[in-house]
Amino acid sequence: MGKQEDRKTVTRRDVLKLAGTAAAFCTSFGFLHGSQTGGVVQGKHIGEWKQLQARWQQAEIKWYSGDVLLNSSEFPSKVLKHLQSDEMATVEIKWFRSGKLQQNLGKIAANR
Amino acid sequence: MAGPHEILGMSRVLGIGTTKFLALYADNQGTTLRSEADGRCVFLTPSGCRVHPRRPLVCRLYPLGRTTDERGEERFAVFPAQPECEAVVGRDGTVGSFLESQGVVPYLGWSRRYGELYRRMIGLLEQLDIQGKIDAPAADAPAPEAGVTETPAVEPSADRSPLSSWQDVDASLAEYCSVHGSAVPAEIDGAIALHLRAMEEWLDDLESRLGPA
Repeated sequence: MGKQEDRKTVTRRDVLKLAGTAAAFCTSFGFLHGSQTGGVVQGKHIGEWKQLQARWQQAEIKWYSGDVLLNSSEFPSKVLKHLQSDEMATVEIKWFRSGKLQQNLGKIAANR
Repeated sequence: MAGPHEILGMSRVLGIGTTKFLALYADNQGTTLRSEADGRCVFLTPSGCRVHPRRPLVCRLYPLGRTTDERGEERFAVFPAQPECEAVVGRDGTVGSFLESQGVVPYLGWSRRYGELYRRMIGLLEQLDIQGKIDAPAADAPAPEAGVTETPAVEPSADRSPLSSWQDVDASLAEYCSVHGSAVPAEIDGAIALHLRAMEEWLDDLESRLGPA
């Protein structure tokens, strides 16, 4: 019983080193804690900052026969620029035949 | 802002150790780089940055800023242009291509690794706060005897002394390698990798002593 208690003890020195290192990293790296992370930093400059996403820089449409890739094509640069810069941008996929809508596969958020 | 791995890189460009670097060029207890009286970075010279090959992430990113939310999702933003900045920055291209051009990728990787360690530290501190598992005050840090004044050999500057010994990569790796009987890596990337590993082992030990949250 006593042994178990010992195992679960950390020293005051450990705690000071832990708290000091966490505080140092918080400032050195700009880490914030918990739900404030990011929000505070962004909120301070929300009027001045232009938010950008860096998740992707190229978009392709690919089509397959079963598992075999038949062809692929990149999005036109004009469309790509719009999708990259607009956080609310969505892509809708629709199938047509002779100008008549056959199927709407729905919208996909480009930046989510 | 400057992380331990960035301080290591800059110190190597200057040909000094991290202990000396922290004493000469760091402020706010080793967490930021010193500024001149007019606000300029201590490394900015008329011919450019003195530590440019190993400049920190925040300098590589400028004019972008980077934030990470609680889920680890990254967002980038553009700072308003500094009128005195001589850098030529266009609006063409993507964030990704800009990051690649500035050699940011390894720095983001290290920042993420240190971020994981930071989250573990916060978890441990929360656990300690909740469970109160700190031992008695005098267990390993005896109080000075009454009437005895402790005088350090060298008067430390409160603002220059690092908050944590982990910020001094050379000193912490020298200690780690001496305990483990291994050689301190001469190469910067190897030293950063070992610094991360040493910190992970330190946190592993603390977590094992505290037990499950």
